[in-house]
Amino acid sequence: MTGMRWNRSLSFSVLSLALSLSGPAAAQEGTIRIGAVLPVTGKESKIGGAYKLATEFAVKEVNDAGGLDVGGKKMKVALSLLDDTSDGARSAQLVEQLMAQQKVHAVIGGYGSQLVQAQSVVPERYGIPYISGGAGATSIYGRSKWVFGVLSPVENLASTQMEFLSDLVAQGKLRKPLKIALLVENTEHGKDFEKGVKDYAKAHPGFSVVLDESFELYAPDFRPLLGRVAAAKADLFMCDAHLEDFISMQRTYTQMGLYHQMVTYGARGADEAGRKALGAATDYIFASGWWSDLLPYPQVKAFNAKWKAAAGSMPQWYHATAYETVRALFAAIRKAGSLNPEAIRAALAGIELKDSILPGGVLKFTKTGQAVLPFVVTQNKPGGKVDLVWPKEDRTGDPVAPMPKG
Amino acid sequence: MQQVLDVLINSLLAAGLYATMAYGLAVIYGVMRIINLAHAGIMMLGAYATFTLFTHFAIDPFLSVIFVVPLFFAGGVALYRTVVRRLPRSGSTPSMESLLLLFGVWLVLQNLAYVLWSGDTQSILTSYTLRSVSLLGVRVGVPSLGVFGMSALSLLVLEFVLHRTYLGKAIRAVTQNRDAALLSGVDADRISAVAFGIGTAFAGLAGSLLSTLFAFTPDFGRSFLLKAFCIIVLGGLESVTGVAAGAFVLALLENGTAAFTTVPTSLQDALSFTLLVVTLVVLPHGLPELSRLVRDRGRA
Amino acid sequence: MTSKKALEATGLLAVAVALFFAPSFLERGTLNDVWSVALAVVLASSWNLLGGFAGQVSIGYSAFLGIGAYTTVLLALNGTPPVLTLPLGALLAAAFSVIIGYPTFRLRGPYFTIATIGVGEAVRVVASSLSFAGGASGLRMPAGSFDFESNFRAMTLLAVALVWIALAVSRSAFGSALAAVKQDIDAAEALGVNSTRLKVTVHALSAALVGLAGGLFAINFQYVSPGSVFDFRLSLTIVLMPIVGGVGTVAGPVLGAILFGWLQLKLLEIPALLDSSLFVYGALLIAVMLFEPKGLLGLVRRLSARRLRRFYVDA
Repeated sequence: MTGMRWNRSLSFSVLSLALSLSGPAAAQEGTIRIGAVLPVTGKESKIGGAYKLATEFAVKEVNDAGGLDVGGKKMKVALSLLDDTSDGARSAQLVEQLMAQQKVHAVIGGYGSQLVQAQSVVPERYGIPYISGGAGATSIYGRSKWVFGVLSPVENLASTQMEFLSDLVAQGKLRKPLKIALLVENTEHGKDFEKGVKDYAKAHPGFSVVLDESFELYAPDFRPLLGRVAAAKADLFMCDAHLEDFISMQRTYTQMGLYHQMVTYGARGADEAGRKALGAATDYIFASGWWSDLLPYPQVKAFNAKWKAAAGSMPQWYHATAYETVRALFAAIRKAGSLNPEAIRAALAGIELKDSILPGGVLKFTKTGQAVLPFVVTQNKPGGKVDLVWPKEDRTGDPVAPMPKG
Repeated sequence: MQQVLDVLINSLLAAGLYATMAYGLAVIYGVMRIINLAHAGIMMLGAYATFTLFTHFAIDPFLSVIFVVPLFFAGGVALYRTVVRRLPRSGSTPSMESLLLLFGVWLVLQNLAYVLWSGDTQSILTSYTLRSVSLLGVRVGVPSLGVFGMSALSLLVLEFVLHRTYLGKAIRAVTQNRDAALLSGVDADRISAVAFGIGTAFAGLAGSLLSTLFAFTPDFGRSFLLKAFCIIVLGGLESVTGVAAGAFVLALLENGTAAFTTVPTSLQDALSFTLLVVTLVVLPHGLPELSRLVRDRGRA
Repeated sequence: MTSKKALEATGLLAVAVALFFAPSFLERGTLNDVWSVALAVVLASSWNLLGGFAGQVSIGYSAFLGIGAYTTVLLALNGTPPVLTLPLGALLAAAFSVIIGYPTFRLRGPYFTIATIGVGEAVRVVASSLSFAGGASGLRMPAGSFDFESNFRAMTLLAVALVWIALAVSRSAFGSALAAVKQDIDAAEALGVNSTRLKVTVHALSAALVGLAGGLFAINFQYVSPGSVFDFRLSLTIVLMPIVGGVGTVAGPVLGAILFGWLQLKLLEIPALLDSSLFVYGALLIAVMLFEPKGLLGLVRRLSARRLRRFYVDA
């Protein structure tokens, strides 16, 4: 009797164990596992946190609609988002963990050139597609066929500004020759910006760089450096800086009574935080970036509306690029029709997202895996207004050049 | 010529702020032989305190000093009584434990700031922040003038206290020779508490002043801390004038190399550090030792 | 060989063997964690040679890690195999430590510490300005240079070796001389100890080991940048680990390294504490300095001594 009972309970427990094992496994079969490693805390936490919000928003959007269509079956997306605390070594280790242990189907990369650089060595080892919306440094791409980037090269951010300036010359608003005082932060972003400006100036007579200096991040006393800018007697002032340094530098610039015909701080200028901190001192500064909420495409207006409804304020460029990164990945999975890594990778490589919210309206990747899309240029106008002044066909207002004095 | 004037005036203005920053560090070290690494954190808190008073109570940053200084003095005394006093006494030699302890305090302060104010970049914009005046042909921002004025005032007050009050005499005595001072009846514990309070108050004041000039985050303060070290090493601990002289030399070096050489300004910090190390090795007692050497040589 | 030494030797050997075969039966995530702890042990124990045994607190050790890392990457990009780049990195780190050692060791106590902070920062600033070293963007290792298993074995072996080196030094005449310098440098000098030469030597040994770890670091992460290897925070962590664990002992740095490794993982898991790593490290440091300068190890010893005393007294 006991023997039989023992046998029955044994077979019962074996059966239930087998069922419980297959249970979750079956559920796992029906979900798409996506990993993401972002700097939610630490140095890059301001934008890293924003990327987290936008990524989760994009995933929720798809899940609320019933899931992603993969080869005829609707599957939900399970997002595993980890915090690398802005540390490169940890960032790489977490990507490794996602790919090796959690066996995700794809990884969404982090924010910040150094962090993405560190992460980008991992995908090749596991053959899992990796897409980053947070780094424009060209040196990251082209090394592995598994690595994709949605942000266009920072050099193009600079060369777009130069094209905009050239156009102002063609319109008669500025007159050559134009001397440039160039200051860049000592980071990869800054160096790429510097390269973009210098290469363009070399190829286009009429522009010359008369001062070219780099500065350390967060050392806020810019008086000596701006003294050199004043002594250089340039026509244009071009600088690439983080928000904190932008505020400190522009303050000192204004107090010193410096003047240049056009002033830019790279991607800064239109930031709300910058405008709040500097008031009228930001007027007429122009900036270029990967996205602006002013782009007159219907898909951008739709995105602005749904983001505002969910978050309570207008989206910033980093929300848009993070969102689009996830959307591109989902589009590739849909196109691939399966969760096979090579299929997803091939789909990404050949994708052409025609209703993209990014400038140009179409998202596709070049041979190196990096997207090379147009940049937008915005100019601050008095009274807190911002105008999109480039690409010309998407203008919301006319550029003012040279900047009015006083 | 204009450039020389430019460098001189900017250096002078910068020196005022630097001296205020450095004195906070100097008094604590002089009296207790403690290197206050939390100094940077306290400056950062001073900036945030002024910021909070400005955004919530619309108090002008320069006026907020009236609240910040006493508050930070009290805070410093409290910090001394609760934490610093418990450290094992090492007599007249500087102790490692205090260095590391105060470093721990700095980390805690940073985290506190992150929690209270988030890591977002903050700054103070008043009606006069962007205005400037012309001083001998040199354009000077109005906040910079205000900062210099405040710094000079605080240092004058300090000079008065040091030379005309018993407290000041006691502080100078302990700084010069601790054991002798104790033998003369100075209450070491009380003087230490007061010195720590003064040091913290000056750090808070420096932070307040810095907030009118620059944007800041909880990480703020590190580059200024290193400058402060440079200054007390250069200027010695003996007097306010020593610190002021050290501050001026550093400011002159920074502005001078930017104006008259082509050394990249990004290497400026590296320059300060090298100056620091060289001075520590060659002139352990700073510039006052140099002046004494020169004087003695003349006398012999 | 006494029985204690025999026990230690077998213990270390057993650990080494276990770690050697670990890649075969542990999964990658755990191996990564063990690697990180091994690196922490190497850094903490190496620092302890100068900071704990000789009592000279340097908060600039990331410079040596960086020199080792950059040497490996730069030479690897020129085709040199790791078997050469790693020792060269160690050598260069040691050489640098000697160059800055002679002037800075003239300073005593906290002055020395401040000088090391200055040197560390200066190195970072200079490194990010050097264009042949990639400037601020850093450098990537050449493709195909990654081999996790041998890197894992090298790092863990180095950690075990470090414990053995620390034991050997603490028991040697060299170690006694260091202790004398730590306790009272003038008395030591009076007894004929050349304190400067001693300090420079242990500094060089310590720097070489950290440089070696730096080379392995570069190979494991395949990418170096001034921000990742010349970081001030890293220098601080290198100091915090042995101090919290028990400065001046052999087991202290190991304890501290393991504690920090564990803390790092735990802090990530608790969302409420996500932004609090600074607070935790700061509070730990304050607690150690105030209540138990001998660190965790000191605390353990004190508590066990008290328990033993009570055991004997009550009985």
